[in-house]
Amino acid sequence: MTDAYKTSVIDEIATYRPVLFRIAMLQLRDAAAAEDATQEALLAAIQTHDKFEGRAALRTWLISILRFKVLDSLRQRQRQGMPVDPGQLSVELDTAKFATLFDETGCWATPKDAWTNPETHVSRIEFFRVLEACLTKLPTNTSRVFLMREWLELTSDEICSETGVTAGNLRVLLYRARMQLRSCLDVSWDRSQ
Amino acid sequence: MTNREPITCQDTTWLVSDSCERELTAEEKADLHGHIATCELCQGASKQFDVLFQQIRLFFSKDIQPGGDASE
Repeated sequence: MTDAYKTSVIDEIATYRPVLFRIAMLQLRDAAAAEDATQEALLAAIQTHDKFEGRAALRTWLISILRFKVLDSLRQRQRQGMPVDPGQLSVELDTAKFATLFDETGCWATPKDAWTNPETHVSRIEFFRVLEACLTKLPTNTSRVFLMREWLELTSDEICSETGVTAGNLRVLLYRARMQLRSCLDVSWDRSQ
Repeated sequence: MTNREPITCQDTTWLVSDSCERELTAEEKADLHGHIATCELCQGASKQFDVLFQQIRLFFSKDIQPGGDASE
């Protein structure tokens, strides 16, 4: 491995700082903590970059390092207590908003004949951008628990003990997250056709 | 024929979400697949959920082996 190659990998790692910070922020919802986790992930990546050879998977590798740093951050914050804000939670659990998706018989209350058929021709970069925008639109607690589940792969018990959310409310929040993401992506798939 | 009430589109979406969290019971699976087979909107929504779940896995880099190189 040449020095020039090493330098270019380090340069390339640095270009991921903004996206790593945004993903850490989705989970931690705290700019200082997200900045620390991002910084630690980048440092760890640069220190061990000589072990990394597959540049096509650089994003994958960096996100896996960030995942450990975010888990560390959550464990530290859990010791200080990181319960959800009950007022904010009750807003996110409010049923009125979701009732409009279905009519009184439980059928889709959609004005369209059919949903947009998701196309796979959208480039990966484009879909990462759209999905990230949709994740960012999720309410705070909804995105926190959704990322804990889908990214950090914590168990339901771990998420409940971390956030103070009951198992029943966790099920609702995960459902809402999936429903909102589907609706959000439906709009973007519609536009791409 | 069963004497159970047929499930609604809304029930279907709950089962789709729950299926990410746990193994559905045989009865739930039968309800889910039975409803989707006869409902065009749920067929479309179901396809969207499949793509969404796949994209989420890619976004969080779950489908790619860390350290692997796709060009190899």
